[in-house]
Amino acid sequence: MKTKLLATLFTIAASSALIAADSPAVGTTAPDFSLTDSKGKTQTVSQYKGKYIVLEWFSPECPFVKKHYGSGNMQKLQEEFTAKGVVWLSIDSSAPGLEGNLTAEQANSKMAEWKTKQTAFLLDPDGKAGRTYGAKNTPHMFVINPEGRIVYEGAIDSKASPNPSDIASSTNYVKVALEESQAGKTVSNPNTKPYGCSVKYK
Amino acid sequence: MNLRAHLGGTFASRLFFLAALFLAPLSPAWGQKYEGRELVQAQLLSDATAVVPGKPFTVGLLLHMVPNWNTYWKFPGDAGIPTEIKWKLPDGWKVGEIQWPIPLRLDEPGDIQIYGYHDEVLLLQEMTPPGSLKDSTVQLAAEASWLVCEKICIPGNASLKLDLPVATQSTSSNEEIFSRYRRSLPQSWPEAKIARATWQRQGAELLLTIESPALANYPAADFFPAPEANVVAGHPKVERAPGGKIIFQVPIETADKNVAALNGIVVFGESANGPGRNAWSLGSPPVIASTAVLPGNFARFLLFGFIGGFILNLMPCVLPVISLKIFGFIQQAGQDRRRILRSGLAFVAGIFAWFIGLALLLITLKSAGREITWAFQFTNPYFVVLMSAVVLVFALNLFGVFEISLPQIANRGVLGWTAREGDAGSFFQGVFATVLATPCTAPFLGTALGFAFTQSGWTILLMFLAIAAGMASPYLLLSAQPAWLRLVPKPGPWMVRVKQLMGFLLLATLLFLLAVVGAERGVEAIIWTSCFLLALSVVCWMKGAFIVPTASPGSRFVSIVLMVLLLLGSAFYFIGGKFAAARVVSAETQTQDGWQPFTPQFLESELKQGHAVFVDFTAAWCLTCKFNEANVLEAGAVRDAFQRHGIIRIKADWTNADPAITKILKQFGRPGVPMYVLYPGNHAEPILFPELLTQNLILEKLETVSPNAPVK
Repeated sequence: MKTKLLATLFTIAASSALIAADSPAVGTTAPDFSLTDSKGKTQTVSQYKGKYIVLEWFSPECPFVKKHYGSGNMQKLQEEFTAKGVVWLSIDSSAPGLEGNLTAEQANSKMAEWKTKQTAFLLDPDGKAGRTYGAKNTPHMFVINPEGRIVYEGAIDSKASPNPSDIASSTNYVKVALEESQAGKTVSNPNTKPYGCSVKYK
Repeated sequence: MNLRAHLGGTFASRLFFLAALFLAPLSPAWGQKYEGRELVQAQLLSDATAVVPGKPFTVGLLLHMVPNWNTYWKFPGDAGIPTEIKWKLPDGWKVGEIQWPIPLRLDEPGDIQIYGYHDEVLLLQEMTPPGSLKDSTVQLAAEASWLVCEKICIPGNASLKLDLPVATQSTSSNEEIFSRYRRSLPQSWPEAKIARATWQRQGAELLLTIESPALANYPAADFFPAPEANVVAGHPKVERAPGGKIIFQVPIETADKNVAALNGIVVFGESANGPGRNAWSLGSPPVIASTAVLPGNFARFLLFGFIGGFILNLMPCVLPVISLKIFGFIQQAGQDRRRILRSGLAFVAGIFAWFIGLALLLITLKSAGREITWAFQFTNPYFVVLMSAVVLVFALNLFGVFEISLPQIANRGVLGWTAREGDAGSFFQGVFATVLATPCTAPFLGTALGFAFTQSGWTILLMFLAIAAGMASPYLLLSAQPAWLRLVPKPGPWMVRVKQLMGFLLLATLLFLLAVVGAERGVEAIIWTSCFLLALSVVCWMKGAFIVPTASPGSRFVSIVLMVLLLLGSAFYFIGGKFAAARVVSAETQTQDGWQPFTPQFLESELKQGHAVFVDFTAAWCLTCKFNEANVLEAGAVRDAFQRHGIIRIKADWTNADPAITKILKQFGRPGVPMYVLYPGNHAEPILFPELLTQNLILEKLETVSPNAPVK
């Protein structure tokens, strides 16, 4: 009984720390960041207010990323939705010296090699944006609506495997979330468990 | 932290493994190559030398990882994917679920937690062959796929085949490795008297409460969730509560509000990820939902409540009101049976109304504060002093030193209500009797209430209803059968004796409260509290002696002024002054007998020099700490060992919740004291001890410390 009060206080302290570490909840306002893209331009979330935004955490060597780029699945999705006015930001939060970290030139050549179709490729070497969003996987996907609220957070699709042959039979959660949201519906599956390689923070 | 602790895979076992290669049934090893390195070796093993038709045996997928690389558990955590095994079995064969050994929890930067295995793992599955087999050998084939990660993740897969002869009997094979991994499987949840698990949903969190004294003794306890595919769960936070309770808070990110429990395992041991860990698995069946209590137990507690409620009628606080009611019954005895019944029912309704109100109040408090219990207030020494004062005043009242009279207005109000004829009057008499009864509840209802407090709102309500029913039962009977009134003892001098006897009971309670004060603030605090209580007794005596209806208004006024002065003066001097200072004295006495006072700088500089350091995290109000210090840390053998090994002893006094100490407690994941940490010196990982020490436990670890240069 002697430690009960302290235990309670500790719980409060611990739970506030917890909130800080987690991904912002679906339905809340998407936090802003300011990152430089591979072309040297500054990119923020707030500058795209009024548009749908897709955030995609990226790491070139991760087999789960390769699954979706090697098969052309990710490029197709990027092409389809950027054509509809959706802003697609790929973000690399790998720290320098760790797997997946890219310089601007490396990023540009990777984009050319893979024929990617995103709006911009953002470099986050100190992991600030990644930690703000609680991005833990590559790929880890977020969809933000024109009001600036997060409407989807989680996996790219329903089959957690590195195998490209699984793509055809999986449900693409990002596509579904964008289509439902654009049709004015609530997203039926707004929160899924992302799968992939862990983001390599410092 | 020893992230790379082997689950097994010692050098000796590998030797054994090589030797067994030529004798035991296992598939050829298959290697996963990456940039010229072999990352994973995969192999199938059987625990039986041959297949006996119809007789189940166990097969295992053995994965050898190169150092620092890991494969994943069935729930990989924030990233990664679990290892998969797809069997291609002949017709009629059946294979069980994968049995996963306890994984390691691996933390990566960016608050990423994953569950997996380093070095080696054996995933077990039960194989059941059909009742008859035609061929003399069988081939069991499997496609295994996994993800292996270090700084980068590489998927791997293997087509494995295991050939086994068919025979009428078999002996065991690969015994060492199978038994080693069977030991590292989570066990099924133990019976309720060893550990109870309860889930509670609180908004976006699930709370898992484990009540287990056995578990509470381990310094490391964690919950590894294994949620269903459609549930997204965050990182569990562990919190230790007194009484051997461990509470895990698991954030639930899924919008579904119906998620009420998770599968997973509760892992415990001497250290996180250390060797010799154990785990209990928590599936859906063994979890007791917070509303469901074992029915037999629950009925027993309700019976306790009922009996306790009945006994309340005999308590000295209630007797005066009760006798009023009984006289009422006697007066009404000649009257219409229906009227008597109605007034009795109204009285009973009053009793119920009070208890239901009390229950609702407690439920509200509980849902607001979650951790409220009867004993919670006792952490505050001033509360204990206040309780002592109240208990003493009651005792003096029972001895007849003075009479408690409600203030005039309240008195008139209550009497006005209760004296009023009719059902409303009876109702308020019921409420009044019960209000008077509540101070007497603790000794009789403590058990039942204590139980109710750990339960859901409905249980609390039912419990209070049982108490109300118990208290109301005699009136209901008497109203229904007024003839039985003859059996009620007549009021008389015996009531005074009973009252005085109860007064001594209250004095015994006072002794306990003083012991608590002493534990929290030391002997001096007991003395100052007693001084205040003495002054309070004098005030009570003055009340009884001088504030009487016959006294003149002038002498009454003087008496009241003197009483107030005495009460406030003694409270101010003894409690506000002397008592408040008492803790400082007890804190200063701690830096003796070879113990150094704690400062973060001192600890850091000693550790930097590679010295072995033992830190006792303690507090003046912590009884367990005092017990450990007296019986273990200050025991001759332990003192000798400390000196022989030249271990620096530091006492960190947390009585005033020093934030520097709180920080260290948090680092070790402890909500409070006691905590005992041995830094073995030369920058080795610290050893955390359980909350209850034994001499053997300490001596054993002290022996592992190589002697420092003797300390001055």
